Amino acid sequence: MAVQAAHAIQTTGVGRVYKIRGPKKKSDAKELIALKDVNLEVPYGELFGLLGPNGAGKTTLIKILCTLLLPTSGTALVDGVNVATHPQEARRRISMVSGGETSGFGLLTVEENLWMFARLYGMDNKVVRDRLNEMMEIVGIADRRRTKISDLSTGLRQKMNFVRGFLTDPTVVFLDEPTLGLDVTAAREVRSFVRQWMTDHPDRTVLLTTHYMAEADDLCDRLAIIDKGQLLTVDTPENLKKRLQQSAIFNLRVQPVGDKPRDGARIENVPGVQNAVFHDGTEFTEINLSLERDDALPGVLAHLSARGSSLIALEKREPSLEDVFISLVGRRLDQDTTELSKVELEA
Amino acid sequence: MAVFQPLLDAPIVRRSNSLRSFLTGAWLGWQIESNWAKPGLFAIYAIARPIASSLILVIMYNVITNGATGEPLFAYIFLGNALYILVNNVVSGISWAVIDDREHYRVAKQLHTAPISYYAYLVGRGAARMMIGAISVIITVVFGLIAFQLPIHFGQVDWGLFAVGMVFGLAAMAGLGTIIAAMTMQLPQNFWFIGEGIGGALYVFTGAIFPIDVLPTALQWIGFLFPITYWLEAMRRALLGDTAARFPTLAGFSDAQLIGILAVMAAVLVVGSYLFYRWSLYLAKENGRLDMETSY
Amino acid sequence: MSAQSTVEKSSPSDVPPNTITASAIRTTERAYKARGVQLFWRAMWARAYPRLIGTRREISWMVSETLLPLLGTSAYVYVYKATGAPPEFTGFAVLGGVATAFWLNVLWSMASQLYWDKDGGNLEIYVISPAPMTSVLMGMAVGGIVMASVRGFSILIICSLLFQVSYSITSLPLLLLIFFFTMAALYGMGMMMASIYLAAGREAWHMSNLLQEPIYLASGMYFPVRALGALVATLASAIPLTLGLDAVRQIIFGNLTVGWLPPETELLLLIGLSVVFLYAAHWSLVKLEDIGRREGRLIERRK
Repeated sequence: MAVQAAHAIQTTGVGRVYKIRGPKKKSDAKELIALKDVNLEVPYGELFGLLGPNGAGKTTLIKILCTLLLPTSGTALVDGVNVATHPQEARRRISMVSGGETSGFGLLTVEENLWMFARLYGMDNKVVRDRLNEMMEIVGIADRRRTKISDLSTGLRQKMNFVRGFLTDPTVVFLDEPTLGLDVTAAREVRSFVRQWMTDHPDRTVLLTTHYMAEADDLCDRLAIIDKGQLLTVDTPENLKKRLQQSAIFNLRVQPVGDKPRDGARIENVPGVQNAVFHDGTEFTEINLSLERDDALPGVLAHLSARGSSLIALEKREPSLEDVFISLVGRRLDQDTTELSKVELEA
Repeated sequence: MAVFQPLLDAPIVRRSNSLRSFLTGAWLGWQIESNWAKPGLFAIYAIARPIASSLILVIMYNVITNGATGEPLFAYIFLGNALYILVNNVVSGISWAVIDDREHYRVAKQLHTAPISYYAYLVGRGAARMMIGAISVIITVVFGLIAFQLPIHFGQVDWGLFAVGMVFGLAAMAGLGTIIAAMTMQLPQNFWFIGEGIGGALYVFTGAIFPIDVLPTALQWIGFLFPITYWLEAMRRALLGDTAARFPTLAGFSDAQLIGILAVMAAVLVVGSYLFYRWSLYLAKENGRLDMETSY
Repeated sequence: MSAQSTVEKSSPSDVPPNTITASAIRTTERAYKARGVQLFWRAMWARAYPRLIGTRREISWMVSETLLPLLGTSAYVYVYKATGAPPEFTGFAVLGGVATAFWLNVLWSMASQLYWDKDGGNLEIYVISPAPMTSVLMGMAVGGIVMASVRGFSILIICSLLFQVSYSITSLPLLLLIFFFTMAALYGMGMMMASIYLAAGREAWHMSNLLQEPIYLASGMYFPVRALGALVATLASAIPLTLGLDAVRQIIFGNLTVGWLPPETELLLLIGLSVVFLYAAHWSLVKLEDIGRREGRLIERRK
C-alpha cells in the first residue's frame, strides 16, 4: 500500500493579495485581499465543499491549489506536495473541472479531445481508450463519442469536461462550480456521477466550490463557508444546521416596510431577534428572521406595524444552510459584494 | 464618448433609427479598433504597417529600375497601394464585424433583438474601419511626398473629381462590404477570410499596383466588372493630374464617363447589398444562424 | 479545523459510515503516467494532433491559407512584370509567397496561440497538466510546420505552374538543411513569442497584425535583402526567414550576385539562431509561467 500524506489537502495561513493597477484616486484601494489566513485540512476520501458568494475567494483558493496561482503567503499542500514549489509533481495528482468550461477543440470529436488531454498526463494509449470507454458509458455520452464538440449542447459539453477531469485518475479533483449553467437533469446526473466516483474510489478526494446551498448540502461530507477571503467555519452540513436548531427560523412576507422609526430603532434591537435579512421587492418585502424563541415574534410584528407595514404571509421552517450562512455572514448568498469583479487587478 | 454623446442626443438622430444605428456602430467600431492598452503601440501600428507595405513595393521597384521614382509608373504603384488601404479596410471590415460580434464578443443576440437597423449598424462599423484606413492613407501619402517626391501638387489637384469620386467609391465599397457581411452571416467563423479574400482578389484585378494591361488578356476583363477599378483611376487622375500615367486600359474614358460608371455601379451595389442583406437575414433567422458560435 | 471526522456520505445506496484515516484507506490502483522524455513526447504529439487532423478535416485552409497568399503573390509577380524585371524575380515573388505561409502560421498559430488558448479555456488545462509547457508549444510547432508546409508547397506548385517559373537546384542536401534549420529557428522564435504574447494580454492580436508587413519588408520577402543595405540586412538577419529565404534563392536560382551572404554561412547562422531561439523559448516560458502564476495572469480573461 502506498504511503500517503496526512491529508489530501492542507493549507496553512494561505493568503492572496492582488495589487490594483492604476487606482483613480488617492483614496482608492491599492490592494485587494482575496484570501486571508486560510487554514484547511481535508482528509483523503472526503468530498469537501467550499460555499460562499461570488467574490468570496473560492475560485482563488482553488486556483492556488491547482497551481494556477501562487499564494502571497502561507503554504498549500496537495497529496503532500507543495503546490508553490513543486507544481509539476502536484499536477500529476490533480485535475480540475470548472462550470461553464469551453475548453477543447471544436473540430475534434469528443473521443479525440479526451484522448488528447489524457495524453498531456502521459497516459498509455490503451489505458486511455479503456478508461474512456468506461467513463463515457457511465456519464452517458458514449453515443456521442464521434461528435465534434462544437456540435454538443452545454450539458453534454459539461459531461465531457467531467470525463476529462476524472479520466486521468487524479488523487484530488477540484470542481469549481461544476453545475453552473446546467439544467436540473444534467446537474443531477453530474452530482450522481461524483457521488458514485467517490464511492468507487474511497481514497480519492474532491474539493467542490459552489454557491448552490442544496448542492453543498446534498453532496458534501464537510464544508467550509467562506466570505471576503476568510474561512468562517468548517463542519458537516448536519452539524452546521444543528447550531441553529435552538433558534426559531421564520420567513415573513410583509408589505413594503416604510421609513425607519424616528428613534432609529432597528428590527435587530427587538428583544429575541438574532438576525434579520431584508429583501425588498416592489410589492412586498421578504424577511429571513432568526429568533431566540418563538414568542419573540409578536414583538417583531409590532415593530413592523409601527413602521407602517403589515403581515402578508408567515412560514416557520427548519434551519437550512442558507440560514447558517446568514447567521455567519449577516446577509443572503445572493446579496454578495463582488469585490473581485469590481476592481481592476494588477496583471 | 464625449464627442459622440451630444451627436447621439441630437433630435434628428434620436428620431432616425438608421442614423442612430449607424452612429452607434461607428462609435463602437472606433472603440474596438483603437482599444489598445498601449497607445504608443497603436501609433506604431497606424504608421509602421502602411509604410512598410509601401516600402516593399518601393524597394521591389527600385531594385529593377535603379531608383527611377520620377517615372509615372512609380506614382501609379505608390498611390494605388496607399488608396487600396481604404478598400481593404471597408470591404473586409464590415464582414469582420459580423464575426467579431458573433464569435468573439458574443453580442449577436443582443444586437439582433435591439431596436436598431442592423444594416446601418454594419455600415457604421465599416465607417470606423474607413476612418482608421483614412489615417493610414494620409500617413502613407505624406510619406510618399516627403521621401519620394510623389508628384501631387495641391494647387493642381482636381478636388471636385476627388470628392465626387471618393463619395461614390466609398458607397461602392460599403455596398460590396455589406454583401460580403451578409454572406458571412451564413458561414461559420473559419470563413473569416472571405472579406480579405475578396479584397485580395480585387488587389490583383483592379489595377491597384500595376496596370490591368499587365495581366494575361484572358483575365483583364475581370477588372472592368468592379467599381474599384474606376475609383482608383479617378483618384489618380484627381491627385496626379496630367502626370498620371494614362495606361491604355482606361485612357479611353473621360472623367465624366469614369464618374458615371462609378456612380451607377455604386448605386447598384448599395441597392443590391440592402436587398441581399434582407434576404440573408431572413435565411439566417430561419436557420438559427444569427447568433451561432462556431469557435474551435 | 479538525483533520479527521466521522462522516456520513449522502448516497442513494445505503453506504455504512466510514471512519476515514490515512492508514485505513484502501488505495485503489493508479493508472500509469509517464514522466520525463516519455511524457514530453506524448504531450507533444497530443498537442500536434488537432493541427494535423485539421489539415484533413477543416479544408477551408485551402482558400484562406493558400488562395489568399496566392493572390498576394500574384500581385507582386505582376508588379515585377510591370517593371520589366528579369524572369528570376518572378521566382523571388513566388518564394516570398511561400515564406508568407510560414510567417503567418508562426504569427497566428504559434505566437498568438497561447493567448487564444487562454481565451478559450485550454491554457488552464495545459498548465494544470504535468506536461511541460515547452512540450505543448513544441507540439503546436510540429503541427504548425506540417500545416504551413502543406500550404506553402501548394502555393509553390500552383504559382510555379501559373507563372512558369523554372528552378535549378545547385545542392539538394544544402537546401534541405537550410529548410530544416530555418523552420527550427523560425518556430523557436514563435515559441518564444508565445510566452511574450501571454504576458501582453489583449495586445497579442494587435502585435501579430503589426508584425506582418514590417517583417515582410525587413526580411526581404519579395526582394533581395541586400537591397536594404548592409546595416538593415544585418539586423534583419536575426529573423530566421531573412537568412533562410536568401539562402534558398541562391541555391535554387543559382545566381549568387543578389545573395546577402554565402548559403553555407547562412546555414551556420541559422543553426545558431535555432539554438538561441529554442533556448530562449524554454527560458521565457518558464519565466512567464512563474510571473503568470505570481500575478494571476494565467487566469485573467480580457477581451
